[in-house]
Amino acid sequence: MHKVVTINLNGQAYQFDEDAFDALRVYLDRAETQLKANPDRSEILADLEQAIADKCRRYLSAHKTVIAAAEIAQVLQEMGPVEAAPDPSQEGAAGGPTGAAADGERPRSPNAPRRLYRIEDGMMIGGVCTGIAAFFGIDVTIVRVAFALVAAIELVSSHVGIVIIAYIVMMLVVPLAGTSEEQAAAHGVQFNAQEVIDRAKRNIAEFNDRGWSHQRREWRRQQRAWSRQFRQTMRAKRWGSIGFVPPAADYGTRVAAGVMTSVLAVANLILFLVFLYALASMLSTGAIYSWRVPPDVPLWVATFGLFFTYYVVAWPLHMARRASFYAVGGSMYGWDAGGYGLVSAGLFALFVWLGYQHVPEVRQFVDRLPEIWENVRRAIAQSR
Amino acid sequence: MSITDRFAAIRKGLLEYLILRIVSADKVYVADILQRLSGTEFATQEGTLYPLLSKMRRDGLVDYEWQESDSGPPRKYYRLTAKGKSQLTELNEYWKDINATISQLGR
Repeated sequence: MHKVVTINLNGQAYQFDEDAFDALRVYLDRAETQLKANPDRSEILADLEQAIADKCRRYLSAHKTVIAAAEIAQVLQEMGPVEAAPDPSQEGAAGGPTGAAADGERPRSPNAPRRLYRIEDGMMIGGVCTGIAAFFGIDVTIVRVAFALVAAIELVSSHVGIVIIAYIVMMLVVPLAGTSEEQAAAHGVQFNAQEVIDRAKRNIAEFNDRGWSHQRREWRRQQRAWSRQFRQTMRAKRWGSIGFVPPAADYGTRVAAGVMTSVLAVANLILFLVFLYALASMLSTGAIYSWRVPPDVPLWVATFGLFFTYYVVAWPLHMARRASFYAVGGSMYGWDAGGYGLVSAGLFALFVWLGYQHVPEVRQFVDRLPEIWENVRRAIAQSR
Repeated sequence: MSITDRFAAIRKGLLEYLILRIVSADKVYVADILQRLSGTEFATQEGTLYPLLSKMRRDGLVDYEWQESDSGPPRKYYRLTAKGKSQLTELNEYWKDINATISQLGR
């Protein structure tokens, strides 16, 4: 089921599928840009609209009233890209390709913006490999195999997974390609109608090739998009004012926010570790560093106070992290947060393990944990 | 580079001349022009033709008039202006000269 958009093509109403409408709008927008300097721009655009309407009419009948994406792709293909008429002052400057771009492979445009994004389409873990593959224009399988191979060699030879850490860092820092523009930039192609048409054509070809299993995957992808939309709406509500969604940040801001999120996550974690240490030392020795809990304060009050202090200190950090999280485009809830939670838990385990290996105090402390637990239990039993 | 690629710029440059010829023969609208060109080496699409025709009209080579059609909305029918006719004569001469030059050089 698709939404239908009714549009006015040179004075006549036509109904378009939402996707079809998007493709047409991009085509006409591009035509307008091409004809920017042309004094007859509006007249030419009206002519083009008329021609498109004429071509659309052959797809319509009493029982079919809506133009589909595949049909408009065909129509726009026939129309061809709008080129500014050759200007005598710059004759011969651009021969330009006149035909349509080759089917299948995406044509790369040399001066199109190209950026590293993570790409959700066809991703396995975080979309890093798909993004790298698109960036360099190579097959994603090659990237994946290379990644896995290097990671395996590293792990076996030196027991450190720099590649794995790099992957996690990229997952946190590299933004996800969301809009059509970003997706075009991720592949290093010019964002224009031809691209949208090519994509539509590719999708149709893929559908014919792969049939239902692909369609199911497509639906799942769409579902993900919907749930993302839902999360964004929820996020807007959490931010207080209904309908306010933090504006989409540009690439640099999003990378910076990604870095900030990770830095803040580590800071948060360190703070948590300090808190844990304070809690443990208070419970086991009755003192935090050199500060001794006054004897007339019951243990549970001291524990509560410690929790409270931790939350007061951690709150601004938490808020800052949340803000940068929104800039990345994620959410503190649902799957994104789950991923971050896993990473945090992993880092936590790593810290504890490193401490256990290299810091005698930590080792002592961990070894004494059962004893401490016993003390705490006794203390609670006594205070009753 | 195939021959079609190598001559892309030349074909593009000749398009205006060909349109003058087509319009001179008959009163035509855009679909007629596309139809005449389709199947030839000069097959063209609306995206190219509309801007070109508007430029030719600005240059005073062609003009159009609206005419009701049996099917659908009124159409723009193009015809040559006096300037367009004289330009076409010139271009015909020039093209003949070019052909003569080519056939004179080698064989």
